[in-house]
Amino acid sequence: MKELVLKCESLYKTFGKKQILKNISLELYEGDILGFIGPNGAGKTTTIKLILGLQGITKGKVLINGFDIEKEFEKAIRKVGAIVENPDLYMYLTGYENLKLIANLYKGIDKKRIEEVVKLVRLENRINDKVSKYSLGMRQRLGIAQAILHKPSLLILDEPTNGLDPEGIKEMRELLLDLAKNEKMAILISSHNLAELDNLVNKVCIIKNGEIIETSGISEIKKEEKANYKLFEIKDASRIKEILPGAIIINENKFKIDAVKEEVPEIIELLVNKKIPIYEVKKEEKSLEEAFFEKTGGNVIE
Amino acid sequence: MNNLIKNELTKIFKKKAIYILLLVTLAFMILSNCIYKYFYNDTTYSYYSDGYIEFVKEAINELEPDKPSDTKMYIEYKTVLDVDNMMKEYNKDAWQIQIIASTIQNYINERNTYLYGAQKDESQANKINEQINELSEKLKNDDWKYFANEELKTAEEKVKLLEEEKSSTDDKQRLESIDLEIAMAKIDLDVAKYRVDEDIKYGYDYMNTALENYKERSYMIEQIDNSKEELTYQEKKDYNDSIEQREISKYIIENHVDINKQNDLRGILSNFFNEFGLFIVVITVMIAGTIVSEEFNKGTIKLLLIKPYSRKKILLSKFITVLIMIVFSIVVILAMELIVGGIIFGFESLNIPVLQYNFNSNMLQEINVFSYLGIQIFTQLPSIILLATLSFALSTIFTNSPVAIALPLLGYMGVAVINQIAIQYNIGFLRYFVTLNWDFSQYLYGKMPLMEGLTPGFSGIICIIYFLIMIIPTFVIFKKKNIKNI
Repeated sequence: MKELVLKCESLYKTFGKKQILKNISLELYEGDILGFIGPNGAGKTTTIKLILGLQGITKGKVLINGFDIEKEFEKAIRKVGAIVENPDLYMYLTGYENLKLIANLYKGIDKKRIEEVVKLVRLENRINDKVSKYSLGMRQRLGIAQAILHKPSLLILDEPTNGLDPEGIKEMRELLLDLAKNEKMAILISSHNLAELDNLVNKVCIIKNGEIIETSGISEIKKEEKANYKLFEIKDASRIKEILPGAIIINENKFKIDAVKEEVPEIIELLVNKKIPIYEVKKEEKSLEEAFFEKTGGNVIE
Repeated sequence: MNNLIKNELTKIFKKKAIYILLLVTLAFMILSNCIYKYFYNDTTYSYYSDGYIEFVKEAINELEPDKPSDTKMYIEYKTVLDVDNMMKEYNKDAWQIQIIASTIQNYINERNTYLYGAQKDESQANKINEQINELSEKLKNDDWKYFANEELKTAEEKVKLLEEEKSSTDDKQRLESIDLEIAMAKIDLDVAKYRVDEDIKYGYDYMNTALENYKERSYMIEQIDNSKEELTYQEKKDYNDSIEQREISKYIIENHVDINKQNDLRGILSNFFNEFGLFIVVITVMIAGTIVSEEFNKGTIKLLLIKPYSRKKILLSKFITVLIMIVFSIVVILAMELIVGGIIFGFESLNIPVLQYNFNSNMLQEINVFSYLGIQIFTQLPSIILLATLSFALSTIFTNSPVAIALPLLGYMGVAVINQIAIQYNIGFLRYFVTLNWDFSQYLYGKMPLMEGLTPGFSGIICIIYFLIMIIPTFVIFKKKNIKNI
């Protein structure tokens, strides 16, 4: 049985008269990687700040490892690592000095552990340089290093792929998968870069205008479709509408059509009869990005 | 907690700002010490300026001594020129100058009156001239003791005459004023005695300054003692100040020690807060004013607030760090002055004690320089802590470093003005203003505090109230603060 690490119970947040968050509920188990997705201004960072106790909760409850973040802050936050908005680092210190400051604030982090983490984020060569000389990607990696230094059970990353090159993104994905698998960390990632989450997260939570509009496993959200499109690749799709009036032309070789499984042989037969060469027939699967835009109705701040 | 404080100190000492400030302080220190050593001159004394002499020379040509309206002016100018001519024979700080300016000037004036005045009398003038020549001879022979003994003789005679007059007169009005005259004459006699007994050559050195101070302060005290008017608080304070200065002058005369010397290590150290207080305040205010707000401005506050420490502990550790830095800056600046001053002036002067007149025991108290310095630091500490607290509070509440640094510094510089106004116009309610209360050195040695009605207990309570007014909202606001997007 996997253990529940993070539980948000119908969180509300208002600033003055403005309602920022409405009824946000989340559950995160060890080893889970949750993608927290929403357009700018939807309330992703605010939710993270409520979880971390950086802002007061108007209504609702956050439990981390069973401890209430507001009532037992020190116990609740002990096993949490996080990057909020940007990797917050002391620019005038070296990477190592930054990690040393963090290490001082937890029990039992020795030199060996710091070196281990530095190696994990591949900063060995630059760790004694001032952070002000780091690239954004290196800062991001040092930020992750300081967040995982004390082996947290919950890791919260706000836009962690910002400023990383494709190689860096690949490395980070591997690192996070490794942490979730081997250290049993529960990881919450908010990101705009949906393509990144596609191969990383196993749960998705979509937030819009301060409300969660969808929570589900990654395979479910992709499969869930409004229409049941089948994708055809043929020699010439330009005049396909004369044969199949319901077809939607994608390009000169491809079209798609709304059809259930049982209708597919009929369509193939029709095309064969018209002597149109068929190269491929498959079920259309949506990318996470497409699913996202479908759910949120585009990137609109209201 | 300890680790939090350790981290805060690491952050401060890894920044360049503190080193820059300490370097600036050091540079200022070296400069001021050198100025004291090489340019400070307490004998820059010139009786008549060159410009004045030029003016007199021209003016006297326009005057006709025989014209009644011009006569007085002519005699005056002639005397100036004669005196100046005589002085030219000696160095500007020679003892002879003082004698010429006092005793001989009178003779010259008298002679010139007989020569050019309304009633001309050449034989009298010649007689006086002989006396002048006689005295002039003594000046040339460096015989200052002759003048000292003459001064003593004159003073003794004056006292004797006045006392005889007192015993013989029946005039009530005269009796009333004669006591004061006798007292004054006795002061002159004291001074003359001191000069002879302590072998104080005329001139412009510290011994003569002390003698002069002794005379003036004694006059002042005697006058106040004799007046029947009720003294105001500030007048009483001035009176006490005169007593202290008189006693210190007496000590200097009797011990031949230059207690008031400014330009040596001891002089600078005993004046430590006037010299370097601003630097201590700048350093502590800079730290207190940035320690919280900078973390907000750079976003690193989030890093700190998601560590397993309550917000109360985090803010408290920062405040304790500020207190540590106050002690640090005082110790470092003191050590720097000891080294710089020691190299420039040498350490010998540290053996000379600091003098304070104790109004409780009515005695002069000798205090070791370092004890005195320790007491000074201790009594000034509340003011520095309160300024740092103000800065800390502003820094936390407004998360704005410039405001948090500028406001306390402005306040520090405005203190003198506020206190001056409060004292001068005797505005009672300003008693509750902290700047009149935070300097506890005003209560040392039984002195009268800055304003009537101030007591150490009252000041202590005022300081604590101001402290709490600043620190409690700071903690409450910090605890409730929403960390907004940065």
